[in-house]
Amino acid sequence: MKMIRAFIRPEKEQEVVQALEGAGFPSLTKMPVFGRGKQKGLQVGPVHYDELPKTLIMMVINDGDVTKVVSLIMDKARTGFVGDGKIFVSPVETTYTVRTGEAVL
Amino acid sequence: MKEITAIIRRDRLQETKKVLEDLGFPSLSIQSVDGRGKQKGMVCDNDLDPDLPDKFCTSVKLTPTPSSYALDHALPKVALFVPKRMLTMVVPDDLVTKIVKAIIKINQTGKTGDGKIFVSPVESAIRVRTSETGGEAIA
Repeated sequence: MKMIRAFIRPEKEQEVVQALEGAGFPSLTKMPVFGRGKQKGLQVGPVHYDELPKTLIMMVINDGDVTKVVSLIMDKARTGFVGDGKIFVSPVETTYTVRTGEAVL
Repeated sequence: MKEITAIIRRDRLQETKKVLEDLGFPSLSIQSVDGRGKQKGMVCDNDLDPDLPDKFCTSVKLTPTPSSYALDHALPKVALFVPKRMLTMVVPDDLVTKIVKAIIKINQTGKTGDGKIFVSPVESAIRVRTSETGGEAIA
């Protein structure tokens, strides 16, 4: 299993979530975060914005679905301008469902 | 080292913390998150009160929290999320099973919405104060 962590624009969240739901991946966790990228934030005139609001979408999926989910998120979250976000994929060894106590996704 | 990420009900947080403390693991990070599972965020009151019977679920739908963006822009169809607590802790390999079992035991109500636990590998840990690395850093 793999954990997908996607940092996306907050205004793209609904679109991404609904696209994922449509493709059969309704389960996810989201949280508001603040971050910046290699542009060191935003410079608007004299004002420098260093901590930009983003939404972090976290989901754990089977290995075979990674490419599909990643391309889906990329497709929906992309605007073509800096600040579209990043997606990280990391390994997950075991998943437990608390309700049943079983080690299944 | 392994990272345990547990997404649990809000009202079980204090008990979970207590149990982990009794096991000798007081160190953890807690985050307030919104989540959904297979049920797509459609919940009933038993997310807040796990003692309610399941059939209550089908008749009464609690209003979950659409994102503030969705509310502000009055989107016609919004994805629904349920408020949850996410615990993150990094523990030595041999204690993973013990901690996972303890979390499951205290959080299990048998109703949907009990949450998930993810175990993933962590390469290294460093304590900022002393620069200790590896096992010493999380001891």
